Amino acid sequence: MPVTRMQSTGSKSQTMSDRTATVSRLEEVVSTPDEFDQVVLQALPILLDRATASTKRFLRETGQWNDDIEHEKFALRWGSEYLERFLICGRTEVPCRPLFLFDSLVAKQHSKPEPFCYHPDLLRPLGRFLDGLAARAVISRDALIALFHHAYGWGPGEVIAVTGLNGVESQRIYKNFRRWRESGWQRTMDEMGLTKTELAELGNQQQRHRQRFNSEAERLIRVAQAHYRKSEPDHYPCLSRSQWGEMFTQGYGCDYRIWHLALCLDCMQTAWGLGSSGSNVGEKPRLELQVRP
Amino acid sequence: MGQEEDLELYRSRLLESLNSRSSRFPQGVSDPIQVYVNERRVGELEGAGIGAMLQVQCVEHIDTVQLRTEEGVLLGGLAAPEHGFRTDRLRISTDAIELCVHNRAQGGTLSALFIPAPSFWGRAWKSIAEIGDRLVAHRPDTAPAYGMRMVAFTQVLLAIAVVGLVADRVPTWMPPERMPSPVVQTASLPASPPTETARLEQQLTEVARIQAKIGEALASQQNGIVQLHQAMAKLSSNQESMASGVVTVKEEVKEELEKRLEAIGRDADRATRHIASKGRVEQEQLEATIHTLTADNDRLSKEVAGLEEHNQTLKAKLQTTVVSTSKAVDPGPERLLKMADSIQATQQAPFLFWVTFSEGTSQESIDQWVNGMKGHKGVLNEGWQEVRIVPPPVPPDRFLEQIRGDKIIKAARINQ
Repeated sequence: MPVTRMQSTGSKSQTMSDRTATVSRLEEVVSTPDEFDQVVLQALPILLDRATASTKRFLRETGQWNDDIEHEKFALRWGSEYLERFLICGRTEVPCRPLFLFDSLVAKQHSKPEPFCYHPDLLRPLGRFLDGLAARAVISRDALIALFHHAYGWGPGEVIAVTGLNGVESQRIYKNFRRWRESGWQRTMDEMGLTKTELAELGNQQQRHRQRFNSEAERLIRVAQAHYRKSEPDHYPCLSRSQWGEMFTQGYGCDYRIWHLALCLDCMQTAWGLGSSGSNVGEKPRLELQVRP
Repeated sequence: MGQEEDLELYRSRLLESLNSRSSRFPQGVSDPIQVYVNERRVGELEGAGIGAMLQVQCVEHIDTVQLRTEEGVLLGGLAAPEHGFRTDRLRISTDAIELCVHNRAQGGTLSALFIPAPSFWGRAWKSIAEIGDRLVAHRPDTAPAYGMRMVAFTQVLLAIAVVGLVADRVPTWMPPERMPSPVVQTASLPASPPTETARLEQQLTEVARIQAKIGEALASQQNGIVQLHQAMAKLSSNQESMASGVVTVKEEVKEELEKRLEAIGRDADRATRHIASKGRVEQEQLEATIHTLTADNDRLSKEVAGLEEHNQTLKAKLQTTVVSTSKAVDPGPERLLKMADSIQATQQAPFLFWVTFSEGTSQESIDQWVNGMKGHKGVLNEGWQEVRIVPPPVPPDRFLEQIRGDKIIKAARINQ
C-alpha cells in the first residue's frame, strides 16, 4: 500500500512538472506555423482548461453562473469553441507567444456584447438540443437545412418546395440531408454533450406530452433563433409577405430564403405557400420537433 | 459522482474532437466552401470551380476570416491585422485557397481565391520540366523552361543527324537490283570494303566532333545566358534603385512644395484676416457715426418743428395784440413792425448751461473764456457757474462735448 501511494505521488509530481514545462513552452515565442501547431497540439488540455476557466469567470462576473453540471458543460463547450478558432487563426499570427495570444483571443470574445447565447432554460437537455441545432446551423449548411426537418418534420422534397429552389440548389439539399443523417447530427449531439439517455428521455417526453413538449420547444427555439440569426448576413432582415412573394416569383435570393426561413419561425409562417406557386396553401406550419435526423 | 464522470467524458470527447481536427479534412473539396468574416457568413467559394474567387467589402474592420465545409468543419482561417494587408495560402488537401485581407481606416476587404490542384497532365508536364532542368546543371532558377527547351532541341538535332547518316549509308550497303533478306544484309556488313568502313568511322568521328562542338556551343550559350541574367538582375536593381531615388526626390519636392504652399497660404490667410478685421472696425465706427448723426438730425428736426410751432403761436398772439392795440390807439405801421421785431428778439431765448472749471483756473481766464463764448455769467451754485450764451449752431450735446474739450473746463451740463 505505501508503495502504491509513493508511485501515485511520483506520478502526480511528474504530471505537474510536465504541465509546468508545457505552460512555459507556451509562453515562449514560436516563429513558424509548424512550430505553433506542434506546441499548441501538445498543450490542448491545458488550453481547454484555461479557456473554460475564463468562460466560467465571465459567467460569474456577469451573474450567469450556477454551480451545476449544466453550467460546467456550457463553459467547457465554449472553451472548446475558442480553442478550435485559436488552432486555425493563431498560426497566422506567428511569431507570437501562444499562451498570451490565446488569452487575448478569449478576452476579445468575452468583450463582445453577447459572446454566446445564454439562457438558463437553454442549459437543460431540450434547450441544449435546440441551442446546438441553431448554433450549428450558423456554421454548417447541412445543419441549416436540417433545421427544416427538426422544426417541421420535412424531408428534402418539402424543403425544396417550401423554399422554391431550382434544380442545382435542389441537388445540394439532398446532399445536405444525407450528410446530416450520416454524421452531422451525431457530431452536433456530441459537441453539445447530449448523452444517449438524455436523447431518449427527450423522445419519451415528446411521446407522452406532445403538445406541451412542442410549445416549450417553440418558446426555446425562438430564443435561440433570435440570437443566432444575428450571424446571418446583414442584409437578411425579416420581410413582409409581398416582399417574400416578389422574391419567390422573380426567383432571386436563394440564400436569403434558405438562411432566413430556417432561422425564423414567424417569417416561415409569413412566406408559407409562396414557394410552390401558391398550390401549397394548407394550414400554416407549426413547430413539430423531431429529435432524430 | 455520475455527473463528474459525465463531465469528464464530455471534456475528453471535446479534446478528442480537437485533436482529430486535422484528420477530418475532406480528401478533395467538391462542395462550396463557406466563407465567414468576423464569424458571420459572407458567401461561398465554388470548391469545384477553377479559379473561383470571392471578394467581400465590409464596412467594419475584418478581425477573422474562417473557411468551413458545408458540414461545418473549420478548414482554415486568418486573423487579420488592425490595419494593412495580410495574405495567407491555406492548403486543403491538394487544393489551396489564397486569402488576402486589407483593413483600412474605414472597413476592410477580403478576397479569397480557390486554386485547384493541377490535373494529371499538368503534373506530368511539370515533372518533365523539372527533370529537364536537373539535366542542365548549375543553371539559374530564373529560366527553367528555357534550359529544358535547349536540351530537347539538341537531342532532336543529334537524332536527325544520326538518322540522316544512316539514310545516307543504307543505299551504299544495299545494291539497288535486289533486296537482300535481313540475314543476307547482316552477313554482307562485314563484307563491305575496308575503305567504306574507314569512311564510316571518319563520319562517325565527325558526328562526335559536331556533337562535342554543339555541347561546347550550348555551354557557352548557357554561360552567356547566365551573364545576361546577371546583367539583367543588376540592371533591374539599378533601375529599382533609380526609381526609388526618383520617388524619394519626387516626395521631397512634393513635401517642400506642400510646405511652401502651406506657408504662403498661412501668410495670405493672416493678411486677409487682418485686413478684414481692420475693415470691420472701420465699418463699425462709420456705422456708429452715421447712427449718431441720424439721431441728431431727428432731434434737430423735432426742435425746428417745435420752434416753428412756437413761432406760429407767437405770431397769433402778435396778431391779437395788434388788433387790440389798434382798437385802443391807432398806431402807425412802423411802430407795429418795431414791436414785432422786439417780440421776435425776445423769442430768441439765451442758451443756458452750467460749468465747473479746473482747479487753479484764475478768474481772469474764466472771464476770458466767457467773453470768448460771447456769453454772460450767471449765478454760482456749489462750484457750478451758470453761463448764458446765444444758442449755439450745433445741438446742445455736441456743444457740451465741444466745451468739455477746453482746457479750463472740468465739467459741463445743461441742467442745474
